[in-house]
Amino acid sequence: MCTRLFPLLLSIACAGGPPDADEPVDLGPAPDVAPSAPVLRRLTVSQYEHAIRDLFGEDVYVPTAPEPDTRFEGLVRLGASQVAISPRGVERYEQAAYIVAEQALSPDRRAAFVPCTPSATVDDDCAFLTLERLGRRAWRRPLTDDELDALVAVSGEAASTLGDFHEGLVFGVAALLQSPDFLLRPEFGEPDPLAPGLKRYTAFELASRLSFTLWDSIPDDELLDAAEAGELDTIAGLEAQVDRMLADPKARRGLRAFADDLLQLGELTRLQKDPAVFIYLREGLFASAREETLRVVEDIVFDDPRDWGELLTTRRTFLDRDLAMLYGVPAPVREGFGLTELPEDGPRAGLLGHVSFLALQAHPTSTSATRRGKFVRGTLLCDEPRPPPAGVDTSIPEPSADARTLRERIAVHLENPACAGCHAAMDPIGLGLENFDGLGVWRETENGVRIDASGDLDGAPFDGLVELARAVRGHEDFYPCAVRQAVRAALGRNPADGEAEAIEWLVARFEADEHRFQGLWRDLVTSPLFRRVGEVE
Amino acid sequence: MTLDRRTVLKGLLGGAVVSIALPPLEAMMRADGLAWADDTAFPKRFALWTWANGVLPERWVPAKAGQGAAWSLSDQLAPLAPVKSKLVVVTGTQVLATNSIPHYSGFGPLLTGKAQIGEEGAHTYGGPTVDQVIAASTAAYTPYRSIEVGGWFDEPISHNGPHSPNPPEVSPHALFERLFGPTFRAPGEDGVVDPKLALRRSVLDVVMDRAEALKTKVSAADRIRLDQHLSGIRDLELRLARLAEGPPDLAACARPDEPDVEGRLEDAFANHRALTDLLVMALACDQTRVVTMSFMTPVSNYLFPGASSGHHELTHNEPGSQPTVHANTVMAMEELSYFLQALDAVEEGDGTLLDHSLVFGTTDVSLGKTHSIDEYPIVLAGSAGGRLKQDLHYRSAARENAGKVVLTALRAMDVHLPTWGDEQRETADGISEIEA
Repeated sequence: MCTRLFPLLLSIACAGGPPDADEPVDLGPAPDVAPSAPVLRRLTVSQYEHAIRDLFGEDVYVPTAPEPDTRFEGLVRLGASQVAISPRGVERYEQAAYIVAEQALSPDRRAAFVPCTPSATVDDDCAFLTLERLGRRAWRRPLTDDELDALVAVSGEAASTLGDFHEGLVFGVAALLQSPDFLLRPEFGEPDPLAPGLKRYTAFELASRLSFTLWDSIPDDELLDAAEAGELDTIAGLEAQVDRMLADPKARRGLRAFADDLLQLGELTRLQKDPAVFIYLREGLFASAREETLRVVEDIVFDDPRDWGELLTTRRTFLDRDLAMLYGVPAPVREGFGLTELPEDGPRAGLLGHVSFLALQAHPTSTSATRRGKFVRGTLLCDEPRPPPAGVDTSIPEPSADARTLRERIAVHLENPACAGCHAAMDPIGLGLENFDGLGVWRETENGVRIDASGDLDGAPFDGLVELARAVRGHEDFYPCAVRQAVRAALGRNPADGEAEAIEWLVARFEADEHRFQGLWRDLVTSPLFRRVGEVE
Repeated sequence: MTLDRRTVLKGLLGGAVVSIALPPLEAMMRADGLAWADDTAFPKRFALWTWANGVLPERWVPAKAGQGAAWSLSDQLAPLAPVKSKLVVVTGTQVLATNSIPHYSGFGPLLTGKAQIGEEGAHTYGGPTVDQVIAASTAAYTPYRSIEVGGWFDEPISHNGPHSPNPPEVSPHALFERLFGPTFRAPGEDGVVDPKLALRRSVLDVVMDRAEALKTKVSAADRIRLDQHLSGIRDLELRLARLAEGPPDLAACARPDEPDVEGRLEDAFANHRALTDLLVMALACDQTRVVTMSFMTPVSNYLFPGASSGHHELTHNEPGSQPTVHANTVMAMEELSYFLQALDAVEEGDGTLLDHSLVFGTTDVSLGKTHSIDEYPIVLAGSAGGRLKQDLHYRSAARENAGKVVLTALRAMDVHLPTWGDEQRETADGISEIEA
């Protein structure tokens, strides 16, 4: 079961299935890793928004997406390590900084941020106190005297020009929010006193890594205080903070951001479907579809913590009226979202039955067996198929009397040896989902022919969505891939060779804990994989 | 007027980030930057205009080559009839690159002269795209270095270097706010200098210091990313300084009407036209001299009116002569025609804005079905102030390097590089047959 991707897996975990709950498996401490160079990440769109709200309040108006995310190798969290800030981004971050700063320093809000009453139009001491406090949260570390002096100076210049202390402070706050110390996540590490010759992230860097992973945002004051007091240097102190963070509602936000990225749910906002073909299409349907999937993920990880594989097989979901109508089940509530248990003997279960997957991995007027198969193979099993060779004729026949279903029309993918190598890994999966049209609506037939949704997933036969979902969940790569994706998102890069053993350890722990995602996250952020760093290259 | 080969743009030849505006040579410009030293009264503009998924070559390539009456528009070029007299259609060239990333292995190397970096799903452009190469020489004169706009999708085409995209604006309202909102003053409008402009520049100085400080500690690759950030900050500082100086005196410049719809308009065609109208006014007001309009982006699967499937899907799955693919491409050319006619409608001296511009129209592949990068579709429009011949179909008999067309365009825009392209793409020659 745990052979192909992770050959060094400990024999205990490979003995065949998870152990009994009252026989906890002790895998020992997480193995150390060969150090990797740090990566310089830009805040993602959601991290920027969350950071601003955490700094200035939930109800502050934040302009959306000053700089759009770039997806790289399937994750925007990897793209964040690659991209620069464009000239237009500079412009939009500047504009956003003033919009936010002016709200924060308006008379009815400023008391929360300015801890002193200015004695004059220019009051450097009060400006210093304000910017020192805000700066520590915004830049995730204490500011140096030089840094504060520059910010105080620009606030004073502005106060003097405009004749008002708080209007001047707007410019100091705007400088905080435009600085790369806010927009980027610089990491350099420090020598590790417990491991001579090796480096670890500093306490403040680690605090940021924790909060951006678990909360998709900046640390709160308590976490920064813990970093400053040296509590993150001990495993006990670190675990205490991690437990607190996982129990905080912001962890749900972090989970949703991870799922949104992994499942590419942001693409739903740009999805184009032909309303003449899809009669269930409604304004807001795709926003609802995104919400459904995120709620299911939240349910599996936080509300009723259970096996991550339930994402594929659970009948439990959260629907609004439009989704319920599309799925052919009674609406659970009149307004908003409600819990629904899909019929136990029905054809639909789990993520593969969600509109967010079925509609997104399809075409504007039809399904796509290849795209749906590619998603399962690449995103869920970490075996991304290669692109088609250049110069190949990829046309498939239109429906005809001899080939009325998609299965018959794309048979050429599997018959032509040049195509079959890759398509054999994708098409059979997608063809198992053909009972769900390009929007996700159930259908028995296609062009009058009963749909054949049977197939084989690497030796595991299935017939239809529910059996396919079970086969994916039972596939030897499914859980290791979930771990790998969580690691990639947390590190902002692909794992290095020297980290393979550490990841295998995480997989074994995940297995031993019945695949509960909170445990995976906890193990990941407390392990050397997350804390060890190499030299800047 | 030609310039000698010493006029080389700094920071470009290494393929690194374009971060320095070329200091002007007296020989090139008048002091106000609004005219060339030979008193052509209007500055040159460059526009990159892209559509998706190529063409059907047998219906794209005009039957005859030559100038004026010697050639006629093909089926797919027919919508450009109103501006035929200002076109240069180039057929028969090929992009010299290994075609390993469908839709990008030709497109990237054509626009940057360098191979696309990476593989499908994880790739980026190998260097600055041609619009940014040109913008480096015009940025000093205009409030905006360049403006990028997307007809429908927001995938960036314009790049400053690897991993350094210029994301486009897709919302007409957002574009209006940015260009003609509070920061815009039409000619003749009185203005009190806003004291906040100088204060914003002070803030940007602080931000720049922080970026410079960070630069000293990061890796070489990350220094390039921070250079990009610094370049953008300097651009903004320059723009704020200009705003204090007042509006240009340009006859065709006027404050346009504000689009009253938030977000994109109802379809790519309406959206493209609304964005084009604003962009043309931005050029007429000399807010920039370099624009990119990506009507459609590579691999676009947009559902065109009357089509049974998305465009990309159709290029691969529509059988036979692919009539819907053809119809879609004709519709795209109707949009290019709109764009060119909009430029041509702006009078500038005894010519038009189109006459003073060079529009470079191209797409991400040749034949969509096979992702071919041979027989590459390129249509130029405008003469860049008399530097290109007009009303011409040039047929490359020898399957020349498509980079030669880019080098011709660069030289017509007075960007005098000794060569363009690296490795097998390198060329020192343009296509003299289309140069005036």
